[in-house]
Amino acid sequence: MKGPILQVQNATIKFGGLTAVNDVSFELAQGDLFGLIGPNGAGKTTCFNLITGVYRPTTGSIMFRNDSIAGLSPNRIAQKGIARTFQNIRLFSVLSAAENVMIGCFLRHKVGINSALAYLPPAIKETSRMRREALELLDLMDLADVANSRACDLPYGKQRRLEIARAMATQPELLLLDEPAAGMNPQESDELMRTVRRLRDDFRKTVLLIEHDMKFVMNLCERIVVLDAGKEIAAGPPEAIRNNPRVIEAYLGEAV
Amino acid sequence: MEFGSIALASLDFGTLPQQLVNGLLLGAIYALVALGYTMVYGVLRLINFAHGEVFMLGAYAALFVSWRLGFSEAGLVSNPNLASSALNLVLMLLVSMTTGAIVGVLIEFFAYRPLRNEPRIAALITAIGVSLLLQYGGALILPNSPQPSIDERINPYRSAVVLQLKGADAHFEGDIQQAQGKYDIAKTAFDTALTREKAQFGIDSEFDLRDQSPRKTVQAAESDLKRLQSEKESSEVRVVIPQGQLIMLITSLGLMLILRWLVMKTKVGRNMRAVAHDFDTASLMGINVNRVISFTFFIGSALAGAGAMMNATFLGTPLDTFYGVKLGVKAFVAAVLGGIGNIPGAVLGGLVMGVAETLVVWAGYSSYRDAIALVILIVVLLFRPGGLLGSSKVEKV
Amino acid sequence: MFWIVRILSILAVVGLCFGIQAFALSQTLVAPRLFALTGLYVTLAVSLNLINGITGQFSIGHAAFYQIGAVVAGFLSVRFFADQPLAGPVWLMAMGVVGGLAASLAGLAVGLPSLRLRGDYLAIVTLGFGEIIRIIVLNTDAVGASYGLNVKPKLQFIWMIWLLAALCIAVSRNLLKTVWGLAFLGVREDEIASNAMGVNVTKIKVMAFILGSAFAGAAGAMLAHYEGFINPSMFSMDLSFIVLTMVVLGGSGSITGSVLAAIALFLLPEFLRSAPPVTGSALVAGALSTAVSVAALRWVTHHVHGETRRKVLAYGAGLAGSVTLFLLLRLLLGNVPSLAGISFEASKLRMVIFAATLIILMMLRPQGVFAHHEFSWKWVGRLFGRTNAGVKA
Repeated sequence: MKGPILQVQNATIKFGGLTAVNDVSFELAQGDLFGLIGPNGAGKTTCFNLITGVYRPTTGSIMFRNDSIAGLSPNRIAQKGIARTFQNIRLFSVLSAAENVMIGCFLRHKVGINSALAYLPPAIKETSRMRREALELLDLMDLADVANSRACDLPYGKQRRLEIARAMATQPELLLLDEPAAGMNPQESDELMRTVRRLRDDFRKTVLLIEHDMKFVMNLCERIVVLDAGKEIAAGPPEAIRNNPRVIEAYLGEAV
Repeated sequence: MEFGSIALASLDFGTLPQQLVNGLLLGAIYALVALGYTMVYGVLRLINFAHGEVFMLGAYAALFVSWRLGFSEAGLVSNPNLASSALNLVLMLLVSMTTGAIVGVLIEFFAYRPLRNEPRIAALITAIGVSLLLQYGGALILPNSPQPSIDERINPYRSAVVLQLKGADAHFEGDIQQAQGKYDIAKTAFDTALTREKAQFGIDSEFDLRDQSPRKTVQAAESDLKRLQSEKESSEVRVVIPQGQLIMLITSLGLMLILRWLVMKTKVGRNMRAVAHDFDTASLMGINVNRVISFTFFIGSALAGAGAMMNATFLGTPLDTFYGVKLGVKAFVAAVLGGIGNIPGAVLGGLVMGVAETLVVWAGYSSYRDAIALVILIVVLLFRPGGLLGSSKVEKV
Repeated sequence: MFWIVRILSILAVVGLCFGIQAFALSQTLVAPRLFALTGLYVTLAVSLNLINGITGQFSIGHAAFYQIGAVVAGFLSVRFFADQPLAGPVWLMAMGVVGGLAASLAGLAVGLPSLRLRGDYLAIVTLGFGEIIRIIVLNTDAVGASYGLNVKPKLQFIWMIWLLAALCIAVSRNLLKTVWGLAFLGVREDEIASNAMGVNVTKIKVMAFILGSAFAGAAGAMLAHYEGFINPSMFSMDLSFIVLTMVVLGGSGSITGSVLAAIALFLLPEFLRSAPPVTGSALVAGALSTAVSVAALRWVTHHVHGETRRKVLAYGAGLAGSVTLFLLLRLLLGNVPSLAGISFEASKLRMVIFAATLIILMMLRPQGVFAHHEFSWKWVGRLFGRTNAGVKA
């Protein structure tokens, strides 16, 4: 599509006396692999929350495919095509992996509740269809073997991948990943990097991710924005960010 | 002795000041109990359903002490002129407060503490269970029916303080004098006629009078006089406060002030505020959270016990094991109204609830007096869940 | 093919309901009513489970919906039944629908605040709402105020009561077999995540309240016509707590659990009515041994891990120990005249037992007996040793 898929313009949010995000602007084009980094407390997850409708910006605008989405409810925004994962994993713990992903499929349901309550063929067929889709997505994320295991029983790395599978089930155009590689060992994060790249290459997803693992971000992302204390301090390709003195200062304190 | 709640078809604003005062007195009791709810919610984020039963047991404790002091039915039969003293009241208060405190601490220790790490719903269900257990279990062993109540003679302060806010309209003096005069004349004439006819015709009673007119005249004069007297009363604005209730108000205020000092100026109070603010951080800071929570229950339940003793003694409410249910709900609503977790809020909420309930009855809707609490609750939770003095919370994603 | 199976199974269920009625009526004079009331409690428990257990909305004012259905249906019958052409059963079915609709309006009213309120707050609002309904009815002369309403005609169709229960069970089961059910479960598990996945959490919560309240209302209509008399004291807070205990005991989210717990918790006190009076010593012994065993079993739960066999042994030992303790204590305390002398009618202990059940459950097994499991044919197969060892069933 023409034009940027996501435009965050002068987004600001204040909580009482604290300005968590201060006049932040960036754009994503379709197919970008975009990184959002910064020290702890910089406001990265808050940005995600603004984009996904958990918070309403105090000032500024957020446009998705030229539609304003600031202030819409999270489920409306998900229906428009933005899906996310969470910093602290939020899976449906007692449900199986497949069921978790099926809930992601739910927003595309066509059969009404009455058909479900009466257990009529349309509802049965739709449920089977969504179960098949879920299994395919689990396969994609290399989770086919644990499809029927409870989400809370899965090891941490698989849980993170499950969250991504679930987000993918909503068939989003824009995928927001909040620290997807957290707690992963180098092997797992390489795998994840490949998977994310595949999501963009094969499935034409646009990906915006928050990450602390610098290697992951620098190797995967094509463009990066750096936040510190709610403000944007740098933007550009990885090489530019890597050597930017302000970025180094933000992470390490005074310039070394 | 209350001034009376005359149910009038139209509102009698003359009685409004009395009703307001009654409302405040009632509200003081609600405030004491509401403090318990709000403090426990503040530290544990738990609605202590069983708090009403702490109140109930405190009342029973006061009852039993009064019996011990000789004011039981049997005791009063054998000693009808038993005099009471302030010491009796103090004793009852202390016993009630202690009973309440002990029960509260025990409930926390045995029923809520084991569930500290479970989802809050489990603790809520347990609280409901404890509440029901005390109500129905209590019904098995405590005197329930007929409903006992504390004999009013244990209260040595039974006279009332009268505040005359507005005298009767001036014209009544003259009018009543006139009417009294007319009545006297009519009565004399009537008596004379009756005596005469008895002697002359041998009639037995006034209904047999040949000439009924004297009788009718005296009746008319009597009713005129009575009407004028009641109108005179209505035109006055008086507030009658029984001494006992005044004591109640002062004691409640005193207890609340002590609480405020405790919470604001002592170390243990500061610890309570810390735990209420952030449970985990408080424990990391070295505060013995368990002890703080026990103490919170101790204080909150003691206050409920005090409220119970005063309610049962000075307001003479009959007791049964379901005594705490209605009042518990109202006190809880008071806590929510003021902002649950907020101590001054509980006091404010209690007073508002007391006044609201009294006004509902004054306006003629006494059958809805209990419903008003629920309506207030729902309105508050829908439109301002933080209550009057509280704030809304934001959940961090 | 689908429709053949479907119609046959519906006929089978209807037949079963008539079977229950026939069985009930063939018993002594008291029993038919028990069958009727049990069926109503099953409907109440399963419908509450839909709101609390499946959707995770803590609603503890269910008696209000029951009452609304009863009052509306009763009122209409008194006014209109005599002048209309429909036969008894058809009219009752219509009244069930009407009662359900009326209650679902209330369900909508209660469900809407649930959008903004969580956990304890919602619980209090639902409880308060239940009380308000009761007080309104208490003060409305048209529906009998405190004297109650005599419902004419008495329409005592036990089969219809159980058909309603079966319908409620079927609807809940169907929901859970489809992806819609998963959406409801998602709302229970994590609202924020569900919202983020595009699930309209608001709509689902409201749907849950409407469905749950509708069934309770329909059950209320059945109650009114079966008993022939309703009055506000039949729908007190205690009734809400009793139904809540049934759902919690059965296992929040488990339909099977709700059904079985409803039957057990309703029939047990009924049998208690004819039980011999309990002496004071037995009561105290019971209370003490229960308290000790709960504490001991809690210790077991937290410290004994590992295979099921070991756990079952530990529980078994705990239970055996409690029974022994109880018998011992009762013997000992039987010698205390002040205790042995007083006795309590078993029926007075009903609410005490409910209360104790709630507490014990929360201490030992807050997820309920069945937790989130359901009856399934696989289970039965396993009982008869059908599954292969080593393959996850």
